[in-house]
This record gives sequence, C-alpha cells and structure tokens, in this order.
Amino acid sequence: MSKRDRPRVCRLAGPSLIPTTMDFDFSPLIDSWRFLASGLGQTLLLSVAAVVCSFVLGLAVGLGRLYGPFWLRIPLVFYIDSMRAIPVFVVLVWIYFSVPILTGHSFAPFWAALVGITIHVAAYVAEVIRAGIVSIRKGQVQAGLALGMSRPQIIRDILLPQAIVRMLPAFGSIISVTIKDTAIAAVIAVPELMRQAETLAGETYRPIEIFSAVMIVYFVIIFPVTRLIDRFYSRVAHLGRS
Amino acid sequence: MTAFTRKNADKPPVLVYEDVRKKYGGFTALDGVSLHVNAGEVVCLIGPSGSGKSTLLRCTNALETIDSGTVRFEGKPLPKADADIRKVRQRMGMVFQSFELFPHKTALENVAIGLTTVRKLPAQAAEERARALLAKVGLADKTANYPANLSGGQQQRVAIARALAMEPHVMLFDEPTSALDPETVGEVLNVMRDLAQEGMTMIVVTHEMSFARRVANWVVVFERGRLLEEGPPQQIFEAPTVERTRDFLSHLGWDD
Ligand SMILES: Nc1ncnc2c1ncn2[C@@H]1O[C@H](COP(=O)(O)OP(=O)(O)OP(=O)(O)O)[C@@H](O)[C@H]1O
Ligand SMILES: [Mg+2]
Repeated sequence: MSKRDRPRVCRLAGPSLIPTTMDFDFSPLIDSWRFLASGLGQTLLLSVAAVVCSFVLGLAVGLGRLYGPFWLRIPLVFYIDSMRAIPVFVVLVWIYFSVPILTGHSFAPFWAALVGITIHVAAYVAEVIRAGIVSIRKGQVQAGLALGMSRPQIIRDILLPQAIVRMLPAFGSIISVTIKDTAIAAVIAVPELMRQAETLAGETYRPIEIFSAVMIVYFVIIFPVTRLIDRFYSRVAHLGRS
Repeated sequence: MTAFTRKNADKPPVLVYEDVRKKYGGFTALDGVSLHVNAGEVVCLIGPSGSGKSTLLRCTNALETIDSGTVRFEGKPLPKADADIRKVRQRMGMVFQSFELFPHKTALENVAIGLTTVRKLPAQAAEERARALLAKVGLADKTANYPANLSGGQQQRVAIARALAMEPHVMLFDEPTSALDPETVGEVLNVMRDLAQEGMTMIVVTHEMSFARRVANWVVVFERGRLLEEGPPQQIFEAPTVERTRDFLSHLGWDD
C-alpha cells in the first residue's frame, strides 16, 4: 500500500495545515487536476451505482413491506427502522472493518462503500415508495379490479407509476443525499473526490483552495440534478394525480 | 292497475340477489336484499344516502364479500377463487362516481389497458378497439389526452368506454353523474341512454330522477339496506305504493 492509499481518518487535524498568512495559491489545483478529476470519476461512479442499487433494493423492500407475507414484513420493518437510526458513516465503517473478520473475505473499499450506502439509502427509498403507494386512493385499485386485473398487475401498471410520479421530489432529495453521502467513502480510502482532495491538501498545504474547489464541484453536480428533477416533476405531476 | 311484465321475463335473469346481507363491523349495510335483473333491462337503484346502493354494486362484482345470501350471475353464484372472480369481473363493467381513470395513461391507454393486461391482446388490436370505443362515446378527437386535460363529462365517457372494452354482459353505474358540472351531465346520460337502447343490461345508481323515469325499465327504492319498493318507473314515480317512497321523492323535489 502506498502512503496515499492508507486509511487516514484524522490527517486533517495537524496544525501544519493551517496557513500562517492568507495568500492563495491555486497552482496545486492546476497541477493536480487529473488527480482530482479521477476522484470525481469515482464519486460519479459510486453515486450512480448507489442510486441505481438503492432504488432496486428499496423498491423490493418497500413492496415486500406492503404486500409481503407477515414473516417477511417483520424483518423488513426492523431493517428500515435500524437503517434510519444508524448513521451511514457507522454502517460503512462497520461493513469495511467487520465483514472481513466475520466472513474471512475482505471487501475492496469501493464495494464496501457501495454496499454500505446502498443498504442505508434503500431503507429511505422503501419508505418513500410505500408512502407513495399508500397515498393513492382506493378507487384506483377498485377500478383495476373491476376490469379483471390481478393484484400484481394493479401494483405494476396502476399504483407504482403513480407513486413514482408523486414521490419524484422525495426521490430528488434522496439522490442528492446519496451523492453527498459518497464523500464519507473517503474514510475507507475509496479514491473518490473528497479522499483525493484530502490527500492533495495534505501534500500541498493548500486546504482552502482545494476544499473550496471541492465544494464548488459538489454544488455544480448536485444543484442541477435537484433542479432538473423539480422541473421534471412540475411537468409530470398531473400523471400522478388521481 | 294492469299487471306489468318485465322485459325478457321469459328468459333466465342475468343477476339474481337472494337475501343478501352485509355488515361493516356492527353496521348493517345490506339487510336481506332480494331482487333480480333481466337481460337487457335498465334497473335504477334510488334511495337516500347511506342506504346501501353502492354496497350492493360492489357486492355484485365481488369488490366486497357478502356475509350471507347469494348473488347469482348468469345462473352461477359468484365464485370464491381469485382467478374465477377475475373472469366474472371481466363480464361486468363498472363506472364510478369519481371516474377513477388512470391519470398516468392517455384516454386511449385507459380504454386499452384491460385489453392488453387482462385479455393479453396485442397492442395494435387493443388500440384499434379502444379508438372505436372512444369514437362511440364521442371522443374520437381526445384519444391522446391525459385525464387531467379532459372535462369531467369527457372523463366519465372515457371511463364508460374503458368498461365497455371488456365486452361486459352487464354494466354497473354508481352515481355516474353526481360529480359532474350540470352542463356535462347530459352528455354522459346520453351515452348511457344509447347503451340502453342497444340492449345493454344495466344497473344504475342515480339521483337523476328524470333519467330513471325515462330510461329505466325497473326502479328499486332502497332504504337502510332494504328494498323499500320496486316497480316500473310509472308506478314508482306516479303511484308509489309505499308512503316512504313518496317522502323520498318529494324530498328530492320530485313532485307530480
Ligand atoms: N368500507 C366500509 N366500511 C364501513 N362502513 C361502510 C363501508 N362502506 C360503506 N359503509 C357504510 O355502509 C352504508 C352504506 O354505504 P353505501 O356506500 O352503500 O351507501 P349509498 O346508498 O351508496 O350512499 P350514497 O348515496 O351516499 O353513495 C353507509 O352508512 C356507509 O357508511
Ligand atoms: Mg354510493
């Protein structure tokens, strides 16, 4: 392992990082932009993977909680409640450090981060999907039944599409929180944006310049995502209004 | 008074209710209802709010289960198994007071959905049939509209077309015009009258007394989960034999 790859949670605490004068030097950003850009690539990859995986898992959990047999619903409720009560940071660190001890197989940091963030975010997705379905009035189900549709057909063709439209704003916040949450993967040395920034700041003693740049990058990614979803929602909201 | 013969009285009835009872908790919604509906008849159910009219319709296509008694459809009691129930429901169209169109589907898709998901018709064939049905209810130019972009009367006509798509043997209407603006009530009643003239068997819960009077072959007056009186519209509206029927009608402003 090279020095850069070792997990270092507390390296920012050293006094050497505090500049004595307020002169700014952006040359580390220019010199090492590829290094930061590779971090951004990892951040985006982890974000997209985590969003996709947590929506798939969240959908399954949400439907299982609503329509599953009794013996399935109890553990699902327990899972949702515990994920909402435990910080994602703790989940991630637990998976990275405990799973290898329990199973004898070690996780690559990226996979540990993906699994940790996914099982955390999926619990919220499950709750949002459940709330969306529950909010649809009973007449819609009756209309489907009256046509001779089966329960699964009604869930798939009538309830879920409307629930997803209704919950777009909530999904927008979940997506932005997920992207933000990927930053904590830095603690298990996933070479994503935050991790690369920390490394660079430690090497160049330019934390203000580098972390300011990182803040701007996160903002530039997330702000349009939430705005686009809100825009999209205002255009399609009527599709979920029964 | 001369004896009144009901339409198609010589043929087996489409629907027969025998002493149907239904409770919600301690509340008796249907308290021993017996009646029948012949082929091609338009039966109007009238009665005060909460008297069990909607409940009877929902028990007809098994959206509600009954506690005792029997509902026979085309000679057979309603089945218990889910797959069999679904087959029966396909033979009964239902129209709701609040339309219950699917908001994420266009008018055309709303009409076609039963054909594609339940009948497994190819999309092309389903679409053709849906187009023809929308034309029939006077909405040939609205096929691409979403429900949000249709007036109440238009939405209800789409809902009628959606129910007709399954080629039902009987249509159940639950106050189809109660949620409509007065100016659009007529367009929906016209579609229903045309349907009646084509010989569709219909049960219509309605507060539109003029429709009941002009179109119904048989009128059933409900009160507190029981039949108060039933008879041809002339009898119910002109010479009700039960005093409470007279009270109910005059309460609605129906005075001869
Ligand atoms: N799911 C239910 N749970 C409990 N009570 C119910 C339920 N559905 C209906 N009821 C009660 O049963 C009674 C009959 O209801 P129903 O809807 O059949 O009346 P209605 O004759 O259709 O009245 P309206 O003209 O207001 O539609 C009402 O008092 C109602 O409150
Ligand atoms: Mg009713």
